[in-house]
Amino acid sequence: MTAPAPHTGPAVEVQDLVFRYPGAADDSLRGVDLTIEQGDFTAVVGGNGSGKTTLCKTFNGLVPHFWSGTYSGTVRVFGQDTTETDVAALSHRVGYVYQDFGNQLVRPTVHDEVSFGPVNFGLPDWRARTEEALDTLGIASLSDRYTWQLSGGQQHLVALAGVLAMRPGLVVVDEPVAELDPQRAEEVYRRLADVNRRLGTTVVVIEHHAEFVARYCRSVLLMADGAPVWHLPVAEALARTGELAAHGIPAPQVVRLARAVEPEGEVPLTVGQAVGWLSARAARPVPDAGPASPPEAPAPANAPHPPGPPVVAALRGVRHGYRTVHGGLTPVLRDVDLELREGERIALVGGNGAGKSTLLRLLTGLKVPRSGTAEVTGTDTRSVRPAELADRVAYLYQRPEQMFLADSVRADIEMYPRGRRRPDTDALVADVLDRIRLSALADRDGRTLSGGQQRRATLGIGLAMTPALLLLDEPTSSLDTATRDDVIAMLDALADRIRCVVVATHDMHLVAEWATRVVALGEGRVLKDAPPAEFFADRELLDRVRVVPPQITALGTALGMVPPPLTVDECAGRLSTAVQEAGA
Amino acid sequence: MKRTERDTLSVEWVKLELLRTAYATRGGLLARLDPRVVLFWYVLMAASPWFTHNLTVLALLFALAAAAVVTCRVGPLVVGLFVFGLITETGYLVTAAWFFDGDLTTVLSLGELTLKLGTVSMASMAAFVSLDPEKLSDALLSLRAPALVGFGVSYGYRMLPILVDEFQTVIDGYRLRSAPPASRGLFGWRVLLRGAKITVYAFYPMMLNTAKRTRTTVEALETRGFTYAMVHSDGRRIRLAHLRVRPLDLAVLAVTAALIAAAYALGAQYPTSARL
Repeated sequence: MTAPAPHTGPAVEVQDLVFRYPGAADDSLRGVDLTIEQGDFTAVVGGNGSGKTTLCKTFNGLVPHFWSGTYSGTVRVFGQDTTETDVAALSHRVGYVYQDFGNQLVRPTVHDEVSFGPVNFGLPDWRARTEEALDTLGIASLSDRYTWQLSGGQQHLVALAGVLAMRPGLVVVDEPVAELDPQRAEEVYRRLADVNRRLGTTVVVIEHHAEFVARYCRSVLLMADGAPVWHLPVAEALARTGELAAHGIPAPQVVRLARAVEPEGEVPLTVGQAVGWLSARAARPVPDAGPASPPEAPAPANAPHPPGPPVVAALRGVRHGYRTVHGGLTPVLRDVDLELREGERIALVGGNGAGKSTLLRLLTGLKVPRSGTAEVTGTDTRSVRPAELADRVAYLYQRPEQMFLADSVRADIEMYPRGRRRPDTDALVADVLDRIRLSALADRDGRTLSGGQQRRATLGIGLAMTPALLLLDEPTSSLDTATRDDVIAMLDALADRIRCVVVATHDMHLVAEWATRVVALGEGRVLKDAPPAEFFADRELLDRVRVVPPQITALGTALGMVPPPLTVDECAGRLSTAVQEAGA
Repeated sequence: MKRTERDTLSVEWVKLELLRTAYATRGGLLARLDPRVVLFWYVLMAASPWFTHNLTVLALLFALAAAAVVTCRVGPLVVGLFVFGLITETGYLVTAAWFFDGDLTTVLSLGELTLKLGTVSMASMAAFVSLDPEKLSDALLSLRAPALVGFGVSYGYRMLPILVDEFQTVIDGYRLRSAPPASRGLFGWRVLLRGAKITVYAFYPMMLNTAKRTRTTVEALETRGFTYAMVHSDGRRIRLAHLRVRPLDLAVLAVTAALIAAAYALGAQYPTSARL
């Protein structure tokens, strides 16, 4: 195989593309016309099921060579018609990093994984290509590690390196933010921007988060119902807040703030631009206009003082860690003291590996601390079996399919109450199904539902256990924004049934909008335990726990608002009235 | 009874032991050799006990294989399972011999087979604990096994941690959500029964979840030239270029061959037979 010849036209040209998956009732792509120029950094946005991923799979020939459905129209990648070239030849020009990138890694060690492509194609310079790809992404030091030992962020970079080793002209990355913590997603974007700038590689990302689009992309392609709505430069695209919101992509918070201030005209895209934009319009935070604590947060819930509400669960002097494959002990929690009280909505934050999941598992009794004690409603978790503790604690896994043990949603929901012979099982299950709005789909296998429905089904499983303490691991990851809001609303609605809810999450919007108390884990300890506004005000801490605050909170901090605002409305309300009137 | 976090004999420990065994993390003598030589060594050791009925020879070979297990640092899980198997096997032999009116001769001739199988088992443990998936698949590829076999081996190892993880997650789900038995029963038989039931039930969700994850893998393989490499041989040449037989490899083979020969010679000198 020789290196592909240089090409001067656009990177991707799509004409009249229509595609239907075999056996599907509807077309997934219907009449796509599209041009992506070489060297562009394009974001493909759109709600779940709008055809984003299918479109991107036409670029490397997986559609129609691998997924052979009904296909018409043409896709040219660097001038080559994809129907006339096979997937192997196209892989020299197009690289693809999957949303579930962990499953893309097929070899045991990092070096082997990265060289897999070049070696398979028998490229004589495979060694140089491998070194180059590892260096470009700054992961040369991981070369001899086993891929299953790596963190999520590192695995993503390895998958990307494996793709870059083929020196493709176009790289497609499917939702990098879905499974990574915000700082690691940021790292992936920085590397992508660097590759785009230095090597001139065209980059296409599928992305739900408008804030990343605003900071890194040059153009935006909005997809709806299997066809592009428009493809515009990023500033122009993000100014169309109404259209984006209608397709389930809320504009970045600073854009929404700008729109609240001024309904027409140019908008800022980043926090830095927003500061300048607001000062040009003489908008300043009104001194003393904001209450000492944000109005949304009910005061009693976040008072961590002794005469507060009763304690639901407590950790005292907890130390825990895991054995590694080499026999050592990796400490995860070093010394954690924590009391979870009735009526609280607790967000547990911290980077990948900070011990969030470990802490939740200690509360379920699946693990017991190596030292210290964990108590749930006054019972030491060491003294009972996890099955008995399950009467009081429900734990919902990060990936919904891990919760589906039976062959229908109904069977999964009734497994717990039926097994315990609750007399009112039928009524309880019917009520739960009703609350999670899945009565109509109750007999389907949970795995066949959409992402949002799967989350609701797992919430139903938790509800049917009627726990005092509900623990959720990343309930909003890899959901589009509309679905995410739906899940948050559902969490709100459940408040009356459960005494205390703990959510481990990277989703700072969830923290800002839902939580009454934030517990930040880092270095094996609780680094901060405070209401959300106070938490987001501590910038030095945010860095330490690898958290990127919501844009609006960062903007508030940059404007000197104390405490920073948690929502766009709150921020707009606290800006000087002169601007408010000018805007009205 | 207070529960504590256990570092041995727990699901977590089994998982780590499997990984340690599969990925040869403990090192050892054979782990330093060329993988093809390790396979030859294995063939040599595994074939050696089948040419004799002389118990002296078999005992010596058994001891040699046991020494190999020690030098190759085989982990406690695998050795434990082997010893457990050996003990129950012996117990069974004695019982069977007694039940069918056999005598010492019966026990000895059945014991002969146990010795042979034990030698082969220990040789397998020593060899395969020393080969990580990469080495094993390279060796198979270089010995002209079909590319699919070589890859299958390496991908099978890749799947191992995933399967174990999925399995553990599903089991934990059952532990929490299915009802525990009201009483433990005699010798905890109800607890054991529940454990056995859960293990069987866990199979269906585990396989479905794993299958879902492999769909991406299959697409990724296609885009990264795996099918291409099946028909073109350039990749094979590059992949195998690093294999070298060094003096140490030959020395280990020679010493092993010499020890096997010595066992036979010694056995000829002092023969013991199962047939009295």
